[in-house]
Amino acid sequence: MKAAALALALATSTALGASTIGFADAQERGGTLNFARYDGSKLVDPIYADRNPDIWMVGSLFSTLLSPTEDGTDLVGSLAESFEVSSDGKTVSLVLRDGLKFSDGSPLTGDDVVFSLERARNPDLGPWSGLLSAVSSVSADGRNITISLERPDPALLSMLATFNTAIVSKKAFDAAPGANDQEKSAAIFAAGGPGVGSGPFYLSGFEQGSSMTFTANPHYWKEGKDGKPLPYLEKVHFEIIPDDATRVLKLTAGEVDIAEFIPFSRVAELDADPAVDMNLFPSTRIIYSPINTRETRADGTPNPLHDKRVRQALNYATNKEALIGLVLQGAGKPMSSPVMSSSTRLAADMNPLYGYDIEKAKALVAEAGLKAGTEVTLTTLAGSADDATIFAALQQMWAPLGINLVAEQVDNATRGAKNRSGEFDIHTYGWVDDVNDPSQVTGWLGYFPTAKAVGTGWNNADFNTLYEASSSEMDPEKRADQYRKMQDIYAEAAPLLFMYETPFAVAVSGKVDGYLQTPLGNNVFENVSLER
Amino acid sequence: MAGLQYTLNRILLMIPTFLLVMIIIFLLVRLLPGDPAIAIAGDKASDADIAAIRERLGLNAPLWTQFWLFLTNTLQGDLGRSILLRAPVTEVILARLPTTIFLTLYAVTLSILIAGPLAFVAALNRGKWQDNLIRAVFQVGLSMPVFYIGLLLLTFLAAQLRLFPVGGYGETFLDRAYHLFLPAVTVALYTSAILMRNLRSAIIEVLDAEYVQFARAKGLPPRLILGRHVLKNALVSTVTLLGLSIGQLMSGTLVTETVFAVPGVGRMMLEAIFARDYPLIQGLTLTFAVLVSLVFLMTDIFQSWLDPRMRLS
Amino acid sequence: MSDTTISRGNVRSQRRGRVQIAFRKPGFMVGFTIIAISTVLALFPGFFAPYDPNFIDYQAVRQPPSWQHPFGTDLLGRDSFSRVIWAYSVNMQMAVLATVFALVIGVFVGALVGYYRGIADMIFGRVVDAVITFPFLVLVIAIVAVLGPGLINMYIAITLVGWVYYARLMRAEVISQMANDYASAGIVMGYSDLRIIFRHLLPNAITPVIVYWMTDMALAILLGSSLGYLGLGAQPPQAEWGVLIAEGRNFITTAWWLSLMPGIAIVLTGLGFSLIGDGLADLLRPRG
Repeated sequence: MKAAALALALATSTALGASTIGFADAQERGGTLNFARYDGSKLVDPIYADRNPDIWMVGSLFSTLLSPTEDGTDLVGSLAESFEVSSDGKTVSLVLRDGLKFSDGSPLTGDDVVFSLERARNPDLGPWSGLLSAVSSVSADGRNITISLERPDPALLSMLATFNTAIVSKKAFDAAPGANDQEKSAAIFAAGGPGVGSGPFYLSGFEQGSSMTFTANPHYWKEGKDGKPLPYLEKVHFEIIPDDATRVLKLTAGEVDIAEFIPFSRVAELDADPAVDMNLFPSTRIIYSPINTRETRADGTPNPLHDKRVRQALNYATNKEALIGLVLQGAGKPMSSPVMSSSTRLAADMNPLYGYDIEKAKALVAEAGLKAGTEVTLTTLAGSADDATIFAALQQMWAPLGINLVAEQVDNATRGAKNRSGEFDIHTYGWVDDVNDPSQVTGWLGYFPTAKAVGTGWNNADFNTLYEASSSEMDPEKRADQYRKMQDIYAEAAPLLFMYETPFAVAVSGKVDGYLQTPLGNNVFENVSLER
Repeated sequence: MAGLQYTLNRILLMIPTFLLVMIIIFLLVRLLPGDPAIAIAGDKASDADIAAIRERLGLNAPLWTQFWLFLTNTLQGDLGRSILLRAPVTEVILARLPTTIFLTLYAVTLSILIAGPLAFVAALNRGKWQDNLIRAVFQVGLSMPVFYIGLLLLTFLAAQLRLFPVGGYGETFLDRAYHLFLPAVTVALYTSAILMRNLRSAIIEVLDAEYVQFARAKGLPPRLILGRHVLKNALVSTVTLLGLSIGQLMSGTLVTETVFAVPGVGRMMLEAIFARDYPLIQGLTLTFAVLVSLVFLMTDIFQSWLDPRMRLS
Repeated sequence: MSDTTISRGNVRSQRRGRVQIAFRKPGFMVGFTIIAISTVLALFPGFFAPYDPNFIDYQAVRQPPSWQHPFGTDLLGRDSFSRVIWAYSVNMQMAVLATVFALVIGVFVGALVGYYRGIADMIFGRVVDAVITFPFLVLVIAIVAVLGPGLINMYIAITLVGWVYYARLMRAEVISQMANDYASAGIVMGYSDLRIIFRHLLPNAITPVIVYWMTDMALAILLGSSLGYLGLGAQPPQAEWGVLIAEGRNFITTAWWLSLMPGIAIVLTGLGFSLIGDGLADLLRPRG
């Protein structure tokens, strides 16, 4: 039985191989890609996108001036054909490509760039304006764009390759109905159709919470392998299926071509399916747990976790490999930098970061004088199977330290509120970078003024000073050195339980070629082609 | 005339009920723990962002003022803006309501098609093996949770045998009927079980009644007896029961939509709850209440029209 | 005095006779047996379950059924058979705790408004109308959303909604009992209101409420497991049938035993309660 199935699979793959060779140069074009999403977009606008399902789609509808290289370590021109930073670091000059057009064929000019960047840095509008706080003015002269800065900003070029600075059409916004920018943006999105963006697709259909359709932009500036404009696809149709099991069923039944966020427990099964290409795209997603480092708990009692030796002990006593085995079925790796994913630029490789060492952990708690039977609360997300597993595993792992771990289940909003008010001992959390620069995640996790070092209350003067200095350090080597030091300080203080990094698990039908999800999570459809 | 008077009275009675419904809905959502502003702002927002959102949503105003505003706005059809979907609540609900109504009516139709004939077979063969078998099967059906039936149908009939699509819903009427067949069957199984029981006893009651016994004795053909007496009685009983169990039907729809990924208001309700979308939860709860009371109203009017004696009580 | 004693005595002996008849009905017997076994499993799960239901065994994840693990093991290497057995104590507890408070409150309120009528009864009427205007599940999950997911909150939510149904039933029964002679006799003899309500009216009016309670327990298990499945009821890692089905739904084709066993458990206990309810309803229905 098995042998026969294998023989059949081999026969099919040889046949496929032959056909591919026969048309080696002919690029497949056209067709509709059906994509099962875990959650729907609400408003795909560069400056208002603030949830991942919105942010990750911006790049399909809008182009940015620059874009990251495929490995994410450098930047290349996108709408801009060249770019330059002045020696004092206070002026960025860019030159736009010739003949750029929006998806309705109208020209994309310097005015649109000025309009888009002014919009992006307006603090009264979207939530991301702070990322451009160093910018003092933007001007255009024909295809030449000049961005003036108040102070040097090493992350600025990365910001120009980030979704929030994507270029929108000034003309479309001027023409849209609505009293203010928010209303105009909503009206443009609701109406759909070409004209507002210059990305590989334009929005051609949208049903709230149910489906969304993108249609190829015939005026897209980038060329494919066959020398004709991208994208290869004619349409992408998204269907929103929040239930993991149903998403997988849709894929295996052949009703969709791609299903995202595959539960890790099913990766092995789909990997074995010859009709499915099971991808684990590297991501910047990290799963960690903030530890309350304040001297006292919210109820005024002394906090045993204030002692960094106890926090270090918790980290040593946590068998990350076992955790990864249980929660991710092995599809992940322990965090190797304390403040970012290993795929983020400037990440230090400190592997193993608190490798499992129960004896060291026991010695540390003994040294700290932790009483046996100390009760510690782990706040988890109600209804999350992963959190339930993490709790059960940590409870077993920490018992030898004399820690009695108890669970407190809350919903997402309550967990956020507790993080902000400091009413927790330890709670589960996760993060995905939005920006192709380590400053965002590092500021979030460690720089006290941003968010009390992810709510832990950890306030380290050396770290804060280094972070501030790095924010205007234009010398890449000096900046890397500052980041190295910050990571050392943070690892030693252990304000987090450092857990693991997880990839994006996406199952793709065998007839789909060229799909990519970037480490930031962006869904990239421009190179996708469908086998007929 | 009397019928109109009855209808008017019946509608007037709904006013105090609805005031209470509004109070319940309002209080429910106000008592939610956790700061809604934090839920709206998302994990990455600053403290200042959150304060601004609180101000914008009027969460700092006294409870009484908030209720008055809620009441007057609702009467004007304004249910606020959904936090999750960033659109007027009325708009998003109206966009997804037809799917749910379609599914509910579809399920009702299927229930009648399943329960009707079987109830007749069971009643006419009272105590025989046909009756026992039918009743036993429906008894088990009544004990099966909707989500479990749905899961089994979805996995085996749709995904394994590929007889039906896995979730979603179509464009044209026929396509939609095909897409929603399994969800409708899932909802209908439970309703048809209750319906079958009631219809069976209603039919038996008529068959046992003296006038029918008399007609039989007179030698009237059984088909005529069934047509004249039994059908009318069965109709009244069916309408009453379906009307009264509209709440259960809606509950079943809510679970089924979630299992089959049908984009209706039931699934939206769960999404709203998990996202703490206050205005949307309020709007949806109200929508369900309005739907149920409209069905109650129609049932009452229909009954009074079929059976004028009802108006007196 | 003699009047009332006789009538109560009659009720009691009538009941005893009916219970004996009940046991001769096959449906009732089957239901009774199922519930009796379920109750034993619920009370002593540790005696029947071979393993700790929450013990994680890294070495033995997702094993198929074997002599060692009759229903296999789950994603975390926990013994599925033991989890289904331990879930009996949660789900049977659900049948009782989700209904008994509603029953007590409902009987109390229903009896009082039925006896006194007047303004309280009018207000009660509006409350009933308002509550039954919401689909039961919608109101329950809205309240669970307010209180937060979890078993205790789920009991509170179901009680907050459910008492209305008991009270409505009780009120109607009390009103019809009031028409009987013995109630007016009590009033004539100058008994206190409370004595009339709780010693004379209640024992006679409660029968239909008890029948409804049996059906309601079946519904409570269905509702509780649905909420568990949706993530609003019992929370993992607690073993509860709805939660177990939710955990197993990703493996319904590859490891069907994970979701099938809890599914059968739900159907069986639900069937047990409704068969008992039906049996009682048949017996207690007034015959012409």
